[in-house]
Amino acid sequence: GSRLLRGSRGGHVVIRFALGGCTNRPFFRIVAANSRRARDGKYLEQLGCLDPLPNAHGEKVAGLNLERLRYWLGCGAQLSRPAEKLLGLAGFLPLHPMTVTGAERLRRRRQREQQPEAAPADGSAEP
Amino acid sequence: MAALGARGSAALPARLRALWALPARRALAADAGEGKAAQPKPAFTDEAVQTLLYKMTGLDLHKVFRPVKKGLKPPHYKLMTEAQLEEATRKAIEEAKTKLIMPPVLNEREPIDDVLAEDKVLEGTETAKYVFTDLSYSIPHRERFIVVREPNGVLRKATWEERDRMIQIFFPKEGRRVIPPTLFKDENLGTVFQQDRHEDVLNMCIAQFEPDSPDYIRVHHRAYEDIEKHAKYDLLRSTRHFGGMVWYLLSRKKTDGLLIDMINRDLLEDATSLITLYHMLHPECQSAKEAKEGKLQGIDLIKVFVKTESQREGYIQLALQAYEEAMATSSAS
Repeated sequence: GSRLLRGSRGGHVVIRFALGGCTNRPFFRIVAANSRRARDGKYLEQLGCLDPLPNAHGEKVAGLNLERLRYWLGCGAQLSRPAEKLLGLAGFLPLHPMTVTGAERLRRRRQREQQPEAAPADGSAEP
Repeated sequence: MAALGARGSAALPARLRALWALPARRALAADAGEGKAAQPKPAFTDEAVQTLLYKMTGLDLHKVFRPVKKGLKPPHYKLMTEAQLEEATRKAIEEAKTKLIMPPVLNEREPIDDVLAEDKVLEGTETAKYVFTDLSYSIPHRERFIVVREPNGVLRKATWEERDRMIQIFFPKEGRRVIPPTLFKDENLGTVFQQDRHEDVLNMCIAQFEPDSPDYIRVHHRAYEDIEKHAKYDLLRSTRHFGGMVWYLLSRKKTDGLLIDMINRDLLEDATSLITLYHMLHPECQSAKEAKEGKLQGIDLIKVFVKTESQREGYIQLALQAYEEAMATSSAS
C-alpha cells in the first residue's frame, strides 16, 4: 500500500462505483472511498457519475472529475475493474485488456451461433 | 455579403471582453494577422462603431425599466428633494446603460470533427454511445473535454450540440433548457412575430444559445428580416438588440426603411450616424467618396446618400421634404 494515504488502520482508498437509483433504474456514482466501507456507504469524495441507461438521444451520459481523479491516483488510490474499464472507454487510461478479450469472446460466440444455424439450414435445404 | 467578423476584436476594450467571455487573444492571433494583411474592415466590436450604434439605440428610460412580471409587492413611495431626484435619475441612467450593452455578433462556429482513437475491436459490444464530460470545476466551458465513444469503437470529440447539452446538464445556467424550446423552430417564429414580441424572443434566444451557434444567428436574422419587412424598427429602439439589427441591415445594404423611419420621427442625428457607419463599412461606394471630398455634414450627407445609394429614393425625398417643412413652420412660429 501507499505511504501517503494512512487513514485509520487497515484498508486502502479505492475508486469504484456506488449504486443508487431505484428498482429497475440503476445509477452509479464514481466515488473515492475506503475499501472496507459498504458499497453505498460513506465515501471520501464523489468523482463523477454514470447513467447506464441510454437517454432520449441514445447516449449513456458519464461525468468524470479528471482533476480530482488525478489527485487521488497520484495519492495512490486503486481502481476497481469496472472503473478501469470505464476510464479505458473514456480514453483517460488505455483500453482494459479484458474489454478487448470480452469483445473477442462475444464475436466468437456470435460466429458459433451463426454457423450451427447455417449448417442445419444447408442440411435441410439440400434435399 | 460582408463578414460579420470577430477579426477586429484586438481593439475591444477589456470590459466588453470580460463580459462576452471571449476566448484568449492568442487563439485569435491568426485571425488578427489575416485581418491586417487584407483591408482593415471595421468590425462590430470597434470603439467607433459601438459608439455610433449606442447613440442610435436611444435611451428611453420608460421603455428600459418597463414593468417586468415579478412577484406582487405593494409600491414603494419615497419623498425626495430636487437634488436627490437628480441623483436617482443619474443612477437610473447608469443602470440603463448596463442593460443596453449589446450582445456579441460573431461568425457561425466551425463544426467539430476530431477523432481521438479508433478501436475496431470494440465493434458490436455496445448498443449505445457513451458521452464522457470532464467535470473539473476550474476549466472554462469552451476548453472542457467532452468525448464520445461510438458503438463502432471510435473515440471522437463531441459535436457542438452535444457539448451544449452536456454542459447544461452538469453546469446548469438559468434561463437555458437542455433541449431548446420548440419556439425557436422556423414555423413557430412567425406566430410570435405577428404578436410583435421580437424583443422577448431575442432575449430568450440570448439566454438559450451561444452567440456563435447557427441557431442563435438564424433566429436573430429571421427577427431582423421580419422587422425590416414590416418596418417595425421602433420595437427594438432603446433595447440592446438595436445595434445588432443596424449592423445586419448595414452589411446587407437594406438601410432605406430604417432611414425613412428615423426621418419621420425627426431623429436626424441618428440618420447621420447611420450614414457615417454605412460609409465606414462600404468605403468604396460613391456617396462615401463624395462625402469625404466635400466633408458634408447633417442633411447634405443624407441628400448625397439618397441620390447615389438608396433604392427607395422617392420615399426618402418625400420624408425629407416633410421634415424640412416642419422645421420651417416651427422656426417661423
